[in-house]
Amino acid sequence: MKVTNKGKFAALAAISVSALVLTGCGGGSTPAANDSPDSGEVNLIAYSGVWQDQYTAAVIEPFKAKYPNIKINFSSKRSSAEMLSALQGQKNSPATDVAIMDNSVSTTGNKQGLFEKVDAAGVPNLANVPDDFKNKDGFGPVVMLDAVGLLYDTAAFPKAPDSWDVLWDPAYAGKINVNAPPSLLGLSLTAITSKMEGEDYTQGIDKAVARLKELAPAVQTFAPNPDEYQNVITGQTVLGLGQNARGQFYSDQSNKKMGVTFPKEGTVYQINTVNLVKDAPHAAAAKTFIDYSLSAEAQTAFAKALFYAPSVNNADLPADVKDRVVPTDGSLNIIPLDVDFLSSARDKWTDTWKREIITK
Amino acid sequence: MTLLKTRGRSPLQAAGSGELEKATEKRNRRTYLALLIPGLLGLLVSFVFPLAYMVRMSFNKGAPDGVIEETFTFDTYLQPLTDPYYWKVTLDTFQMGVTVGLLCVLVSYPVALFLARSQSKYRGLLLAIAIAPLLTSAVVRTYGWMVILGTNGLINSSLTGMGLIDTPLKLTNNITGVTIGLVEIFMPYAILAMISGFGRLSPQLEEAAGSLGASKAKIFARVTLPLSLPGILTAFLLVFVLSISTFITPRLLGGGSVQVLATEIYDQTTGLLNWPFAAALSVILLVLFGLIIAVYQRLTRKIGG
Amino acid sequence: MSETKLSIVDLTKRYAAGLDPAVDRLNMQVEEGHLVALLGPSGCGKTTTLRMVAGLMDPTAGSIVVDGKEITHTPVNKRGMGMVFQSYALFPHMNVEQNVAFGLQMRQTPKAEQKKRVAAALDMVQLGHLGKRQTRELSGGQQQRIALARALVVEPTLLLLDEPLSNLDAKLRETMRTEIRSIQQRTRATTLFVTHDQDEALDMADRIAVMNGGLIEQFGSPTDVYERPQTHFVANFIGQANFLDVTIISETGPAPVAGEASYKVDVEGLGGFGAVGAKGLTGAHELVIRPHRLKVTLTGEGHDALKGTIERVSYTGDALSVAIAVGERSFNAQLLTTSGDLPRRGDTAYLSWAPEDAYLLPAAAPGKAS
Repeated sequence: MKVTNKGKFAALAAISVSALVLTGCGGGSTPAANDSPDSGEVNLIAYSGVWQDQYTAAVIEPFKAKYPNIKINFSSKRSSAEMLSALQGQKNSPATDVAIMDNSVSTTGNKQGLFEKVDAAGVPNLANVPDDFKNKDGFGPVVMLDAVGLLYDTAAFPKAPDSWDVLWDPAYAGKINVNAPPSLLGLSLTAITSKMEGEDYTQGIDKAVARLKELAPAVQTFAPNPDEYQNVITGQTVLGLGQNARGQFYSDQSNKKMGVTFPKEGTVYQINTVNLVKDAPHAAAAKTFIDYSLSAEAQTAFAKALFYAPSVNNADLPADVKDRVVPTDGSLNIIPLDVDFLSSARDKWTDTWKREIITK
Repeated sequence: MTLLKTRGRSPLQAAGSGELEKATEKRNRRTYLALLIPGLLGLLVSFVFPLAYMVRMSFNKGAPDGVIEETFTFDTYLQPLTDPYYWKVTLDTFQMGVTVGLLCVLVSYPVALFLARSQSKYRGLLLAIAIAPLLTSAVVRTYGWMVILGTNGLINSSLTGMGLIDTPLKLTNNITGVTIGLVEIFMPYAILAMISGFGRLSPQLEEAAGSLGASKAKIFARVTLPLSLPGILTAFLLVFVLSISTFITPRLLGGGSVQVLATEIYDQTTGLLNWPFAAALSVILLVLFGLIIAVYQRLTRKIGG
Repeated sequence: MSETKLSIVDLTKRYAAGLDPAVDRLNMQVEEGHLVALLGPSGCGKTTTLRMVAGLMDPTAGSIVVDGKEITHTPVNKRGMGMVFQSYALFPHMNVEQNVAFGLQMRQTPKAEQKKRVAAALDMVQLGHLGKRQTRELSGGQQQRIALARALVVEPTLLLLDEPLSNLDAKLRETMRTEIRSIQQRTRATTLFVTHDQDEALDMADRIAVMNGGLIEQFGSPTDVYERPQTHFVANFIGQANFLDVTIISETGPAPVAGEASYKVDVEGLGGFGAVGAKGLTGAHELVIRPHRLKVTLTGEGHDALKGTIERVSYTGDALSVAIAVGERSFNAQLLTTSGDLPRRGDTAYLSWAPEDAYLLPAAAPGKAS
């Protein structure tokens, strides 16, 4: 037994040393045998559901046509948090190459050393990403943008509501869905409400909490099922919080039974970054994929498919698509939800919602 | 033992065959152990290791964003135990378990009793129908309840259609919906548990009571009910334990406002990535189970007489 | 003449339309204080009859009258009968006293009286010391007695026993037989007793109803059904019998038993013999001779003796069963064993019987031979 243990230790040590050496002289990856920029495979972790369907159709399929020797394995998760916990689990022996996830979560991943920096060397399209959408420290850049929107039943609202105040209108009491934190939607609503109440949510959210407490009894569900969009479409609720991109998509799917709008007080971005996993087994092919995801072709295709705003400046959207993706030209009032702040506030705000806002 | 067994044979023979017996016994025991190994290994890998890992995890320190600090602290336990919010969540969990257990027993008992006593040739078929819901997952059935209980669901649209109510009843996204869903979902378990616990019940005992002058109601009160009590208790315990550990139905039908230990553990695990805290809550839930089962066993021993 | 306690009129039970009835227009009168055994093979309808009397089963037709009152459709709990089940059906969640007291509780007997009567009932079955025991701690015989005490403590109009001894071992069965009979006689409880064991019925019953195929074949005292079987089935089911197909030659005068006649009969191939039977019989009949009434000698004593060969000998200690071939026929005989030489297979034996031991079945013979 002891001998075996020693043997194991020796093997582990050897692996660690070689890993260190490789990290020292190489790009920080232990390439798989069959990995090259135009062949091998890429293990991608990203969102599930309609996101997966549309991304596969708009981006992955054309990519495969262009790079027939690269296979994409799509592992889908319901939230960025679940992706992060999966990546944390494989930190010692990464099985994933690329992660497309929420900005706030990828920032955490960057801090935890889960991701690799991405530079123009393997990813020439990075040049088309404006500096605002690049990571300050050189990690994965923004790949698409969306924002929190107000979902509404078009039968109840022939004209889109123009203010978040409509949520507090007694006429709609009991017909509202709000995803409570830790969902980004709930966190965003907290920030939006705080802003509306004229306080600085980085200092305190007492006023927002008071206001949200008034809202809580009118909320039909804090965890809409099957999701926030279907709730409005089926008439279970008439107002809800949702992502603009999916909202636009489901609006089409439901024959405009539901609409989605950005109220005048402004909203919060939901930003997805594309990230290269540290020590990714197929780093070379992964970079090819990341580069493609930042191409004008992929960006335009996905904007048309699921109404995410492109993060590159050379993507030209048709007017009817451009009108429905979140504006990135400063025309929309964006309430900045700083990722560093959010990562410390998420637990606190979640607790506040659970203990003070959601009551039975 | 050996002496008794070998009586009547010469000591020499006895000694020889005694050795032989011992050797055979030893070999048999070794065979038994060998046969146990696959099961034990499976249990070790799928149960003991994860459990040990979970317990170990519960003494770590969780920082925001899922960072886990390897340490040995009781903070993860102190936090929920000293926080009235978690006491309330625990109490709510307990209360939900009791309510669901009682209602489930109440609605399942007549079915179980009927099935247990039925002499019909369709008994097997009826039993299969009673437990057929187990063939669909609890998730699917929960979604079914969402459709039935929703604002525009079957019940509300029927009631408004008949003019009995003006505004739809709130049957889902609250504890009412969770309770209704759980009671239905656990009925097959309750029925099976009851039928298996009705072992001492027999039509002859009821006939005997009848022949001694007991009316139908008296037969039920004095014979049927007391003898089905073990089944009822087993079913209650099973449903109770299943309800306090279930996560899907409270999550889907609770609309985020039904906070129980299981949903709390889920939130901590996947939402806030605080694994140590989630592990501590799981251990607390596990201890709660242990206590309840201990109490139950004392109770059944008493009833079993 | 005692009073009629129970009267069953044309009682019929059909489990399903189209099936043969399990009980078919059954009639029976039971006298007060009598123990009547319903005896028959399984499936003969005896348990069904008992359950209808108990009220555990609804008759398809007919009526049941107890003490002059029709109770055909009275619910079981209003009949005031005491029943002992084959499985005893003791309540497992009650101790011995509670079991026995159950019927009194249902009758709302005052507590003090309950106590007294329970104690008396337990004493009657000699288990007064086991009152606080749990029933599962008792032996089969003890459980049986508790079941009896429980049924009797309510002073039932009728005591109904459904194969009460069939779950006991042979030795205990004999003891319980005597005990049940003596308790029944002491309490003078009119009793219906279902059994498939003819010894039990002969030993215990005042009257035996021999049942077959939902019908009573014969209702009479133990000696009646044994000595004067009215049908082939009864003769065959109770005890053992040799059957001979005979033709009556002539009635020769009165028989030793009042109301019967002596006959001269012809057995084909064997010649003429004396026999007894009901008056006025003619033609073909079946003759019944019990094996132990056959006289067997190895030396050819007596005239009229049939000469045969011993085919089979079966030794049971006190008795010896032998099968003797006489021509084409085979006779079963039973002998008491003696200390001397016993007959062996292949020996020549001589067979005879007294005319009064040869009984003619009243029904015309269908042409069976054993």
